[in-house]
Amino acid sequence: MASLVPCPHCGPRPKEEFTIKGAALPRPAPTADPAEWFDYVYLRDNPRGSYAEYWHHTAGCRRWLVVSRDTITHQVAACRDAAAQGHAA
Amino acid sequence: MPDLRPFPALAARKPLASSRIRLSALPEGTILQMIAGPQTPGPVDGLERLAAKTGLALRAISPGQWLLVGDRPTPYPQACRLLAALEPHASGIDQSHGRVRLHLEGPMAATVLSKGTAVDLHPSAFAPGHTAATLVGHVSVHLTRLDAEAFEITVLRGFAEALWDDLALMCAEFL
Amino acid sequence: MSSHRLPQGGLIDRSKPLAFTFDGKPMQGFQGDSLASALLANGRRLVGRSFKYHRPRGILTAGAAEPNALVTIGSGGRTEPNTRATMQELYAGLAARSQNRWPSLHFDIGALNGLLSPFLGAGFYYKTFMWPAAFWEKVYEPFIRKAAGLGRATHQADPDRYEKRWAHCDLLVIGAGPTGLAAALSAARAGARVIVADEQAMAGGALLSETATIAGRTAPAFARDCAAELEALPNVTLLTRTTVFGWYDGNVFGAVERVQKHLAEPAPSVPVERLWRIVAKGAILASGAEERPLVFGGNDIPGVMMAGAMRSYLNRHAVAPGRATAIFTTNDSGYALARDLEAKGLDITAIIDPRESGGADYAGKARLIRNAVVTDAHGGRSLSAIDIRTGGRTERLAVDALALSGGFSPVIHLACHRGGRPVWSGEKAAFLSPASLDGLAPAGAASGIAGLAACLADGAHKGASLAAALGFAASPIPFGPVEGDAPAAPAKVLWSIPGVRGKAFVDFQNDVHHRDLDLAVKEGYGHVELAKRYTTSGMATDQGKLSNINAIGLLAEARGVSPGEVGTTTFRPFYTPVSFGALAGAYHGEHFQPVRRSPLHGWAERHGAVFVETGLWYRSAWFPRTGEKDWRESVDREVLNVRNNAGLCDVSMLGKIEICGPDAAELLNRAYCNAFLKLPVGKARYGLMLREDGMVYDDGTTSRIEENRFFMTTTTAYAAGVMNHMEFCAQALWPELDVRLASVTDQWAQMAIAGPKSRKILQAIVDEDLGNDAFPYLAAREVSLFGGRLHGRLFRISFSGELAYELAVPAAYGDRVAEALTEAGQADGLVPYGVEALSVLRIEKGHVTHNEINGTVTPGDLGFGKMVSASKPDFIGKAMLQREGLNAPDRPRLVGVVPLDPGQSFRSGAHILAKGAAPTLENDQGYVTSSAFSPHIGSTIGLALVRHGDERHGEDVTVWNGLRGEFTAARLCAPVFFDPANEKLHA
Ligand SMILES: [Zn+2]
Repeated sequence: MASLVPCPHCGPRPKEEFTIKGAALPRPAPTADPAEWFDYVYLRDNPRGSYAEYWHHTAGCRRWLVVSRDTITHQVAACRDAAAQGHAA
Repeated sequence: MPDLRPFPALAARKPLASSRIRLSALPEGTILQMIAGPQTPGPVDGLERLAAKTGLALRAISPGQWLLVGDRPTPYPQACRLLAALEPHASGIDQSHGRVRLHLEGPMAATVLSKGTAVDLHPSAFAPGHTAATLVGHVSVHLTRLDAEAFEITVLRGFAEALWDDLALMCAEFL
Repeated sequence: MSSHRLPQGGLIDRSKPLAFTFDGKPMQGFQGDSLASALLANGRRLVGRSFKYHRPRGILTAGAAEPNALVTIGSGGRTEPNTRATMQELYAGLAARSQNRWPSLHFDIGALNGLLSPFLGAGFYYKTFMWPAAFWEKVYEPFIRKAAGLGRATHQADPDRYEKRWAHCDLLVIGAGPTGLAAALSAARAGARVIVADEQAMAGGALLSETATIAGRTAPAFARDCAAELEALPNVTLLTRTTVFGWYDGNVFGAVERVQKHLAEPAPSVPVERLWRIVAKGAILASGAEERPLVFGGNDIPGVMMAGAMRSYLNRHAVAPGRATAIFTTNDSGYALARDLEAKGLDITAIIDPRESGGADYAGKARLIRNAVVTDAHGGRSLSAIDIRTGGRTERLAVDALALSGGFSPVIHLACHRGGRPVWSGEKAAFLSPASLDGLAPAGAASGIAGLAACLADGAHKGASLAAALGFAASPIPFGPVEGDAPAAPAKVLWSIPGVRGKAFVDFQNDVHHRDLDLAVKEGYGHVELAKRYTTSGMATDQGKLSNINAIGLLAEARGVSPGEVGTTTFRPFYTPVSFGALAGAYHGEHFQPVRRSPLHGWAERHGAVFVETGLWYRSAWFPRTGEKDWRESVDREVLNVRNNAGLCDVSMLGKIEICGPDAAELLNRAYCNAFLKLPVGKARYGLMLREDGMVYDDGTTSRIEENRFFMTTTTAYAAGVMNHMEFCAQALWPELDVRLASVTDQWAQMAIAGPKSRKILQAIVDEDLGNDAFPYLAAREVSLFGGRLHGRLFRISFSGELAYELAVPAAYGDRVAEALTEAGQADGLVPYGVEALSVLRIEKGHVTHNEINGTVTPGDLGFGKMVSASKPDFIGKAMLQREGLNAPDRPRLVGVVPLDPGQSFRSGAHILAKGAAPTLENDQGYVTSSAFSPHIGSTIGLALVRHGDERHGEDVTVWNGLRGEFTAARLCAPVFFDPANEKLHA
């Protein structure tokens, strides 16, 4: 029915306005070990609890955000502009 | 010579009006999207001066992004100058045809919009001059409160008729 | 007529009689009646048959928890099955029909199910119908479907309007009974934005059935005054007929408002139901408490009713329960009913109280039987007698109405919607809401408080303190002394009643009785979640609002533990059923999803286009001419005309992105796998975008308009995705790059002009020289049109393999420009062509689309291996593209395929086998990705992804369509069927 995401630019907005990409992981260097790239592209933790993800405020400010939410309670602990913290979480 | 008059996106839609709600299309004039580089995301020097000089209204749409809007088209050479006016700090992109503006007015205007958007439109939270990029129903729009009972709704041209039809449905009980 | 209507009193308007029918029989009620109260007033007790045993059922409650009195109302598309008669307001002309009976309510053949009941006990689905398996579909299921069930849904479309809306408030008050009104007023007077929602037609809740007075005012008058004050405050929204059905993340509440469900003919411009999503800073749950039934034999016989409900029908609707009423109560609330019945001169046969000293304050005339229980009720379609057991003695009393009160359960469903678990209170003999909820505070009876004065005080206190916490100067409102308050002390717990002989129902709606629960425990299904599914207790449309607590009590008793240890099943939204209409809102039919219109839509329409939905777009598929027999004829003509003369196609729906800034070229260089840094101004380049896993994501052309301004096109399907992706690259991956991105898809009307005569035709409207030297292949520039009257962007790019251009003009001019070009090109044979012809042309030329770019192909698979930059330090997909498997020689690679016999054809999706090989998984060589009839070749042609495909040109293969069982002899070839030397392109 609803989940409100506190966009740092737009205020609380329903999840329908967003596109979720998935885990906010730092992108390896192009020369990084293949195993590191494999982890980045394919492996996910699926934690019970806190999880940082890339969300795009597609129908709002169109900024990419890093949303830290609890996968059990859906409580959003933090929501930052992805550019504000350089290369991912 | 061929007829080259522009063809408004909402030409086929007649304004809706009652004492409680009025929906109409605004003239397809000028809409310039101004985008600052990431190093200067705050208010760009000269943006407000540019607005004042040209008589265009300034609408914030996103961090470091604004629309300059007006009811009259800007001739091509002048538009080119305006788009480049803030380089290198900000780039201008002509959206005069890419966006269409609607006008929703009347005592029920905020109520009608609340059928589509989750933005709190109470005057204490969304005063005249406030803007928001949001969904109205299934369509992305940019909202500006012009005064207590009037809103400007800017929408992608391709969705203008669909948005109009959705808004007309939302207005129906007040017509 | 109204045999049970009292001559005076109640909140009904006797000057407004309302005629209605039940099972076709004309009846009359008054404005202010519910369907249930009107039926009772008419002496109607039997209103339905039960789900499984088809037992006669009456009206048990006066509210949302009603399990029995389900009827079908309305007709045609407005038919609403399973409507609770207790919640349906009466209106003139209402036509209600009973359910689950055949041939009639009074004589129901299904009642024989009662005789079959040994086979229909708990777990009967699993036991009785186990064997033989084939019998399930043919015999058992049809039998059960026919015999069991509730109302039937209509197959007609709902003619009414629904809508959704958002609302925001400081304080949401759920329930407008004494607690809710006190809370709302205390917050609202201080200026807080308050929304009050109540499921009834008028605010007041229990006050409407109450005979106590508040500061000298009657309870209903007090409710009316409070509601009037709330309505008059600009900062308050009072929503009646509105059920808050769910509590969600972000303190958002879902509610459904029944705007016009109480009207015979809803106004067409107004929705009949409105779904609210309410964002509340704080909320008060003032939903009251539900009275608990008692589990004795025949407790479902019409005439047996909850004590509070009986009191409500008596006081609010002036309906007498019967001529000889008994009250069976385990707490003091039964005595408030006794007092009110006697005040209205109605006879009470007996009050049965299992407590030793119950009713100490009772001063009425009725016979009070302490230390006693009702073991069985008797009567078929209406109650006639009850058995009372005191000590070892059983006495039978003739009564026609029996009121029950087994204590109260706070209505805490909403408080548990976000994962909290109810907590058992031994002191209050009830489950209470989880402690310390963030954003929602239970108050009044919903928090286990009893008595009117206490509820008013609790509501006022909690409303004021929540408002104060938000910065409002709020204080609890004192409402004055309450006279005649009868707070019920906690009930004596009475789960199972000894000596019961008949069926003692726990879940009325699903026909679960006490022995079913005993059986569940005996057979090892005593866990509350297992017992629920084994017995189906609590699984009906009422979700066990009345029954769950008794089921838990009985399980606890059978297992010898406390109800707290048994625990409850999980409460989830919705609190009460919500119609699909309300959930869909306005978004159905034409409004299901927004239509996206091309600026050339009108032009295409005028030229007779047949449109096809492509995502949200409507694209012109082909342009039939009179005399053409089928679409193929039109498409073949359009294709040949492009090859021989010229065609005009709307490509406005391609994604278009403007990329500016000093680092624009660098961003493109990292987003595409091929090089873009050195793209000259005024030139277009084909670009291939990969995903990080090395697979191709999308393709398109990007042109350099100025040194720091690029114009990118994407495929139509991936336009939104590519824009998001580019923003991800710019914002999340490389925020240090100074780039400015904007979607300009809607700014430009874009048209492809393709064919050998396209230059000549375009030159008629373009001011600049379009000669091959002046405007060569891949030129991309701003151009002046019609002698400087208009400006656009012209790109010499080709999807068809012909000499071709794409012209972009500001969208509002698109229609006129397309028309002008169509006219200008007439002499040279220019005709419009649609996406079908476009597709044939591109397959002939071997250009890929998302048929080929299907998420499993690398650039090398598509023959673009050499395009991938080896020198760029980084680009999306570079690292993973090096993987061995992505460079294996036996990967499926793009290849052309033609049938050996031009009269034969194949379809996309068909598989490629070595010639003559059996169609097995091991023999599978690949599959056809695109196919079309090529008028140029004169047969079907296809593109395919085939193992070692690039080395197998000329090899004969078999194309196998497993769905149709077709085998087509074919030959692999180069994936270019037209002008392989690109002479036309550069002409
Ligand atoms: Zn935002």
